[in-house]
Amino acid sequence: MAGPLRNATAIVGVGLTAYGRFPERSVLSMAGEAIRGAVADAGLAKEQVDGLFVNIGYPLGADYDMVCERLGLRVRYAMQSWSHGRFVGACLQAAAMAVAAGLADYVAVVCSVKYSQLVQLGGKERPDAFRVGGGPHGEAPHYGLTAPGSGAAMSASTYLARYGATEEQLGDVPIAMRRHAERNPRAMLREPLGLDDYLASRYIIEPLRRPDFSLVSDGACCLIVTSAERAADAPSPAVHLAGMQGIRSGPDEFVWARPGLGAQQQPEETFVPSAWDLAVYDYADIARDDIDAFYTYDAFSPLVWYALERFGFCGEGEAPAFCADGGIAPGGRLPVNTNGGLLAEAYLMGWNHLAEMVFQLRGTAGERQLADSRLLQWGSCYGDSLILAKER
Amino acid sequence: MADDIRLPAMDEDTRPFWEYARAGELRMQRCLDCGHVRWPPGPQCPMCWSTDSEWARLSGRGRVQGWVTYRRRYLEAFEPPYVVAAIRLEEGPTYQAGLVDPDRIVKGMPVESWFERVDEEVQLPMFRPADR
Repeated sequence: MAGPLRNATAIVGVGLTAYGRFPERSVLSMAGEAIRGAVADAGLAKEQVDGLFVNIGYPLGADYDMVCERLGLRVRYAMQSWSHGRFVGACLQAAAMAVAAGLADYVAVVCSVKYSQLVQLGGKERPDAFRVGGGPHGEAPHYGLTAPGSGAAMSASTYLARYGATEEQLGDVPIAMRRHAERNPRAMLREPLGLDDYLASRYIIEPLRRPDFSLVSDGACCLIVTSAERAADAPSPAVHLAGMQGIRSGPDEFVWARPGLGAQQQPEETFVPSAWDLAVYDYADIARDDIDAFYTYDAFSPLVWYALERFGFCGEGEAPAFCADGGIAPGGRLPVNTNGGLLAEAYLMGWNHLAEMVFQLRGTAGERQLADSRLLQWGSCYGDSLILAKER
Repeated sequence: MADDIRLPAMDEDTRPFWEYARAGELRMQRCLDCGHVRWPPGPQCPMCWSTDSEWARLSGRGRVQGWVTYRRRYLEAFEPPYVVAAIRLEEGPTYQAGLVDPDRIVKGMPVESWFERVDEEVQLPMFRPADR
C-alpha cells in the first residue's frame, strides 16, 4: 500500500559549491553559497525559506543557529543531525515530514563540510572513535582498530571468505565509480582506474586498498524541499519524493553490513530481503524493476555490495557477479552512483548523490544523462531509502 | 605510562570487563533470565530486557569471523603491519582484538585468548591460534 506522504513533497532547488579541498574557505561561506544557489534555483526570495535542516553541525560543519544568524535566514523550523554521514536520507525525510506537517513551507536542507581540516581520519584527533564501548563504525582503538573504514574492512573479510568473492571483484566497484566520474566535470577523481591499477594500489586496511576508501572533501550542498502543490509553480521540473524508509537499527544490524552477514554482533545466517527491508517500494507504489538507477553510500567499496543485496537487486553473495562486466558502470544493468559516488566525485556524505538524482530527473545531467530516468532510488547498506520520481 | 590510546575508555557499564581482564579473566554479562551472553556490556539484556545478569567467565575459545591487516600507520602506539580480528566466541558474542602469530588466517580457524599487560592498570585480552 502506498505510503501516506507518497509524492506529497518535492525538491525544487539545488545549490552546490565546487567539490575539492578548500583550506581558504569556511564552512559558513560554503553553506552560504549553496543556500543562495538553491534558493535562486527554486525561484524563491530568501524570506520564503522558513525551515532549515543542517546535516552536519559542529565540529565539522556549522550549527543551525550560526547558519541562520550569520547567513541571514529567519526560520520557524530548525533541526540538525548527528555529525556523521549516514543521516542523508533520514534528514531529507525529516524535511519532507516537516513540510507535510505544516511546520514550514520551504525547508533548506544544508550540508557544508570541511573534511580537509582533519589531519587524518582515524587518528587521535577524532575523539568519537575512542568513546566507551567502541566507535560508531566498530572501532576499538586500544587494539589499533581505528578509522571509519575499519568496520568495513572487517565485514569485507567476512564477506570475501563466506562467499568466495575475490579482491579483483571488489575492484569492480571503485572502477565503476571512476567510469561515472570520468563523465562528471564536478568529480574530484576523473582519471581512469583499471584493474591493474587497482591491484597495484597499496592496502590501507587490508583487504581494502586506497581506491576502496572515500575521498576527503570540502564542499556544500543545499536542497529545497516543499509541498508538491507549491512545487508545481517552480521554475525547474519538480522532483517528487515518492517513497521513503528510515535507517534500520537493532541488535542484528551493523552500519557497515547488511543483515545476516555476521559482522560485529550480527548472526551469520541466510539473507533474503523481507518486507521490512523493502518497504520503500510499497511506499512509492512501484516495483524494484522500475528503478532506473541506484544511489548508495559508498564511503567504502564493499558497502555497495551490501546495499545491492539488501534491496534485492541480486541475491545473497551475488553482488560481486552483479557488479562484474560493468554491471553498475555507465550503461550497465543498474547504473550505481552516476555522479561517481563518494569514491570518485566527492565525500559530501551522499548529498552529492541526491543532487545528482535531481539533475538526472530534470534531464540536466549532461554527458551522464541516463537514457531512461523516471524513478531513481537512494538506498544505503544500513537500510534507509528514498525513491525520487519525475512524475507525481 | 603507556600511550593512552592503549587504555580503553570505561564507564559504569564497561568497567567490570576491564577489571576482570586486569585480573586475567575474560568475563562477559550473562542474562540470568534467558542466558544470552552479551557484548558490548550494557545495562539490560538486548534479547529479553532483563536487568539481571552475572559476569560469567568465558572459555577464551573462539573462531575467526573476520580479520584486517593494518598496512598504514594511524596511531603512534601501533606499528603496521598488525592484525586485528573479530573473534566469534564459543559463548556467542563477537569480540574484536589483536591476533598474534597467525601463519595464515582463514575464516573459522580456532583461536584462544591470552592477556597482554599494557601497564599496571590495564591488561587487554588478545588472541592467538589455538593448538587444536
